[in-house]
Amino acid sequence: MDELMEILEELRPDVDFENETALIDDGVLDSFDIVALVGELNDAFDIEIKPNNLVPENFNSAKAMMALIEQLQDE
Amino acid sequence: MNYTSLNFILFVALTVLVYFLFPLKKQKWTVLLVASYVFYLFAGYKYVAFILFTTVSTYLFALWINRIGVKSKETLKLNKQTWDRDKKKKFKNSIKHRKRLVMALVLLVNFGILAFLKYYNFFAGSLNDVMGVFGIGFSAPTLKLFLPLGISFYTFQSMGYIVDVYREKVAPEKNIAKLALFVSFFPQIIQGPISFYDQLAHQLYEPHKFDFTRFKYGMELILWGFFKKLIIADRAVVAINTVTADYAAYNGTTLTFTILLYALQLYADFSGGIDISRGVAQIFGIDMVDNFKRPYFAKSINDYWRRWHITLGAWLKNYLFYPLAMSNLFINASKKMKGTKFGSTKAGAHIAKVLPTSIASLIVFLVVGIWHGANWKYVAFGIWNGGIIMISILLKPIFDWVLAKLKINAQSFAYGVFQMLRTFLVVLVGYVFDVAPNFAQAMNTFKLAFVDQSFSVGWSQISELGLDKFDYAIIIFAMIVVFVASVIQERHSSTTIREMLDRKPFALRGLVIFAGLMLVLVFGIYGPGYDPAAFVYMQF
Repeated sequence: MDELMEILEELRPDVDFENETALIDDGVLDSFDIVALVGELNDAFDIEIKPNNLVPENFNSAKAMMALIEQLQDE
Repeated sequence: MNYTSLNFILFVALTVLVYFLFPLKKQKWTVLLVASYVFYLFAGYKYVAFILFTTVSTYLFALWINRIGVKSKETLKLNKQTWDRDKKKKFKNSIKHRKRLVMALVLLVNFGILAFLKYYNFFAGSLNDVMGVFGIGFSAPTLKLFLPLGISFYTFQSMGYIVDVYREKVAPEKNIAKLALFVSFFPQIIQGPISFYDQLAHQLYEPHKFDFTRFKYGMELILWGFFKKLIIADRAVVAINTVTADYAAYNGTTLTFTILLYALQLYADFSGGIDISRGVAQIFGIDMVDNFKRPYFAKSINDYWRRWHITLGAWLKNYLFYPLAMSNLFINASKKMKGTKFGSTKAGAHIAKVLPTSIASLIVFLVVGIWHGANWKYVAFGIWNGGIIMISILLKPIFDWVLAKLKINAQSFAYGVFQMLRTFLVVLVGYVFDVAPNFAQAMNTFKLAFVDQSFSVGWSQISELGLDKFDYAIIIFAMIVVFVASVIQERHSSTTIREMLDRKPFALRGLVIFAGLMLVLVFGIYGPGYDPAAFVYMQF
């Protein structure tokens, strides 16, 4: 989780990732952020996030992202 | 059958009646299917073959793609003990390729039909021009092609479903009649919204009971659509058509005025039409996603495209932008750039991060441009919008630096208004490509907007465009109504104006509805034989 938070803070220092729960629904992260984030996450966690993982539920909060990462690591 | 014609109103009324009185609860959706095909046949029987082809091919290929996936999982399970990791991986990859191949085939055929009907003459013409330049006497024949009603919309929606099945996001529909309804649902066939399968399909198939609140909200939304469409759009389009019929005859002032009027007309027409569609669907108990979110309040062009024709943007993002930007090609390009000497500088790191993504976005905007029509001016329209986004993203650190240097508070109201005006100007430039008959005339319009401004000439021309002072007064009045409603909606995004109205006293509610109805009846534009102008978007 710490590693994820670090990546997120670096990507968008202006966003409160601890408490935001509608990052996508409220348009806090745009599609450019998502693409950059996916690249970082793939490298950091040795996973492969696919376009079909890019649903709001997976990226609305840091917690949801962590769940996605763990799920992909299990595969 | 036009959404604002009396025929359509009668057609909807009859369908609503039959739907809610239909005795077989589980088969209620068939009423919608029959109504959708009746609606489609009204547009011309020769069109039906195209939508049937898309329906059948989508149905069969979705099942095929799914079958490959299911079978492969069975095989994997069967050989779980005997195969090693490598063999499993190899098998999985070969299955992935097969699925992808089957998907590519159906996408190619359906998009191929769309592209052929929509763009063949454009390419043939351009090819002939090129051949002419080189003095080659070859000429590709131009064909008399017709465009089936809503083909862009139903093709995109069906192919989205195919990709969703490929991605195993949704299970394929086993009943071809049900899928046929998803492809042809009449409130959305003319101009969208383009829906995702998992959002819309189950709503179409569920039996809905009559619900007075939904009925009321649906009717109010339809009335609002009529207000925008009949009072503003169908009135303003008279002046716009006069200008486009003889574009070169007008001075810079008139053309500037026309572009501004077009911004209003296009929004009123398209969003009004979508409101009618969504209102009709709502009466049946079906929620369709919205296509507009006050686009002219956007603070950046990126923001504008999240508010304008939202469902086309969502489709392209989901099925084109993400797969492109996340493909190995683009990701590796970014990594390679980061690895260079330039990439280790601050500016270089930023560019390495966003350049490949910006290129993917530019490609998406080229598609958006071409979606609008087969003409080079639409290619320019795409490059303009995509280019602005690309530049704004690439130069973002510089803009941030300037803001900090000038000590501008980016959160202040004044700066917000400045951002809106700036964005609106960028949008207007894009509209010039839409209104001008061709690319050269569009470029000339930009020139005239600067060097050919004369209010006296403009005024005399504007008064000759087929609208009198009274018409302009009505347009301005209606525009103010739409503006006020938009401001209210923008401030209360969690609710709708209809729900807010519902909490007001009965007398006030009644008055608002009555006034709206009277305004539409009295000031709506009804052409000869009560056949209002076709929706701007119908031909796309």
